[in-house]
Amino acid sequence: MTATTDIPTAAQVAGRRWRASRAVVFTILGLVAVAIGLAVLRPATSAQFLDPESPAKDGTRALAQLLGQRGTPVQVVRDTAAAARQARPDSVLVVTRFERLGSEQVDQLRDLPGSLILVEPSRDALQALAPGIQRASAGFSDGSVAPSCSLPAATLAGSVAFHRSEAYEAPPTATHCYPSEGLPRVVHLPRGDRTVTVLGSGLPLTNRYLAEAGNAALALNLVGARSSVVWLIPDLPTPGSRSGDVTYDELIPAGVKLAVLQILIAVVLTALWRARRLGAVVTEPLPVAVRSAETVEGRARLYRAHHARDRAADALRAGARERLVPLLGLPRGAAQDPAAEQEIVLALAPRAGWDAAVVGWALYGPAPADDAELVRLADVLDDLERKVRQS
Amino acid sequence: MAVTGRLGLLAALGVIVPLLVGRGWALLAVQGVLLLGVVVDLALAGNVRALRFHRDGDASVRLGETARVGLIVENLGRRRMKAVLRDAWPPSAGASPRTAPLNVPAGERRRVEMTLVPTRRGDRRAVTVTVRSVGPLGLAARQLSRPAPWTVRVLPAFPSRRHLPARLRKLRELTGQHVAMVRGQGTEFDSLREYVVGDDVRSIDWRATARRADVVVRTWRPERDRRIYLVLDTGRTAAGRVGDVPRLDCSMDAALLLGALASRAGDRVDLLAYDRRVRARVEGVSRTDLLTSMVQAMAPLEPELIESDAAGMVSTIMARVRQRCLVVLLTELNPAAIEEGLLPLLPQLTARHLVMVAAVADPRVDEMAAARGDLAAVYDAAAAERARADRRRLTAELRRYGVEVVDAPPDEIAPALADAYLALKAAGRL
Repeated sequence: MTATTDIPTAAQVAGRRWRASRAVVFTILGLVAVAIGLAVLRPATSAQFLDPESPAKDGTRALAQLLGQRGTPVQVVRDTAAAARQARPDSVLVVTRFERLGSEQVDQLRDLPGSLILVEPSRDALQALAPGIQRASAGFSDGSVAPSCSLPAATLAGSVAFHRSEAYEAPPTATHCYPSEGLPRVVHLPRGDRTVTVLGSGLPLTNRYLAEAGNAALALNLVGARSSVVWLIPDLPTPGSRSGDVTYDELIPAGVKLAVLQILIAVVLTALWRARRLGAVVTEPLPVAVRSAETVEGRARLYRAHHARDRAADALRAGARERLVPLLGLPRGAAQDPAAEQEIVLALAPRAGWDAAVVGWALYGPAPADDAELVRLADVLDDLERKVRQS
Repeated sequence: MAVTGRLGLLAALGVIVPLLVGRGWALLAVQGVLLLGVVVDLALAGNVRALRFHRDGDASVRLGETARVGLIVENLGRRRMKAVLRDAWPPSAGASPRTAPLNVPAGERRRVEMTLVPTRRGDRRAVTVTVRSVGPLGLAARQLSRPAPWTVRVLPAFPSRRHLPARLRKLRELTGQHVAMVRGQGTEFDSLREYVVGDDVRSIDWRATARRADVVVRTWRPERDRRIYLVLDTGRTAAGRVGDVPRLDCSMDAALLLGALASRAGDRVDLLAYDRRVRARVEGVSRTDLLTSMVQAMAPLEPELIESDAAGMVSTIMARVRQRCLVVLLTELNPAAIEEGLLPLLPQLTARHLVMVAAVADPRVDEMAAARGDLAAVYDAAAAERARADRRRLTAELRRYGVEVVDAPPDEIAPALADAYLALKAAGRL
């Protein structure tokens, strides 16, 4: 038959499936690798980032202590309400960690007295607190950058190492300092009698980088010319307080929603393509598959279920007699004839080399008392038959 | 109508447009383009209604062999037809390929070759031909199912025909066409010949021997032109599977071998398939056509799940054949069915005819009877012994009525039946 050679081996099937699906597998693996790479490369902000009470690398305790030694105490506040209480016309409010501020809180900050220093402000916060300034780009820079502006705090501090910083687009009325490709990293914006300073990076303020180049000087100069410093590092908004008034829905660009709709349409069309059969399913009346020996098997199970040892033993003995009697040269009818018992047993015993009582028990004995005896009886009958055939 | 995967792909690629534009009309525009493509395709696709189907190829095939059926597609439309075609057959017809590409220019015809490897005996009818005619852009298709009738009759495999040459050789020994001529117990006097060692001394013709100096024996020719009436029981007992084959198929195989042999031996063979009514009948067919007719009659037979009507069967046989013949009953030695149905009617039948019962034994029963080891196996063995005892009792009972009984496992039933027939013939009992 050729049918057997047509059936592929398991290895062939596996190979075929692998060749069919390897493109998909490689694509998925590639996407996973890219995702892992992006997750690893993304700069992580720790919980202590820009926290004046933290001595960690990301903290700003060094700066806070420097300021304290120079007579400008740093008051650390953890929410906007406290910041509002502490703000004085001659104080400076340093706002950090904008990602934790909702738009309501940003609005609260707008009307506070005193100057503002915004460290890495968010897009919304810039719009509210420093109108006219827009985030333009972000970039890394090795080494320090010269101020190239007329802001005293910057010129006195000299060049500063920013490492990673945002750059901004600002109106000409503002002072542009530390440009990166023409766009300033620090913007100083007068607003009435006070000023708003936008700092593109918090890194120069941290314990880790404070000692580099003119970082400490710039920080002290920007902050330190006032009577007091209020350092706002907001706590994480508690769950349930509706700090952000933007829903997820509003955050999703309209194009993405439409694209999702288009994907749905594509999925439906693909489903229609796959669902449409090429003609109806063909049905066929099949003959029943009844095994011929089913009744015999059923009878065996009934015997077993009811422990019908007597009937089973009778059947086995009758079968054995039926096969043995022709070997003795007796008429077939003798096998089932009770009167021939003596004759058969006596004829068999010498041929088998067994005691007549054993042969008598095997062929005409009482019903087995338990299951083990029935199994033994079957074996004894087999033995007897074999011996008689061999004799 | 049907859409293609290309439309889905295009729709998926269309995601870029709303993503970049971000306006509602962009989405609508994409849908508009897709719809336009679908409409164009549907308008320009070849017209399935203008197709005409013709068939040619094999109308019958032996089970286990391969049939070829051609489907000729004629395109009467005005446009070229680019399509996928599916010629649907029942699963047991084993039709391949499942689908075939089709490209028929207007006014021309193309042939699609189907290969059928049936897995079951009987008539296999083509169901429908479905054509999916794809438009020029490949985005949408017109689809329609049309009938293209054709029937392939799957004939019994007749695997026992390999036993035929050996049985024919035996037959030739009987009929004297063979070198080693045996004295047949026929009734027709053939000729006288010299005695050779091995001849039955009873066949010595003393009168002729006295006339000549040599011992002369008479030879007879086995009788010819006897009638054999094969009866297939298609009732419930024929449905039971022996191995993986229904008992009916084994019986058919045996009947075919016997039919082939008997027709060569010069006997007339008739066939009747019966359960509660006549399912098939082959009567009065010439010797050359016999096997073909039998195979054709047997092909569509299926066992019916009903108790056979023995009385009806016997009366049908009695009505059909007046003169003495050999009635070969291919059935199962099922105690309930035979004792209640056939036994009381046997005297009627045996009074006029010679009756032979052929039954297929299940090797599984012997297998069970030999099982030993644990309790379940011993109970199996006991039940199998019981079944064999019933069978023996029934066989003995049938023999008491003068019925010949052939009881053999499926792979031996056909030669065993043929041998039984040859034995009857040699004994001149027909």
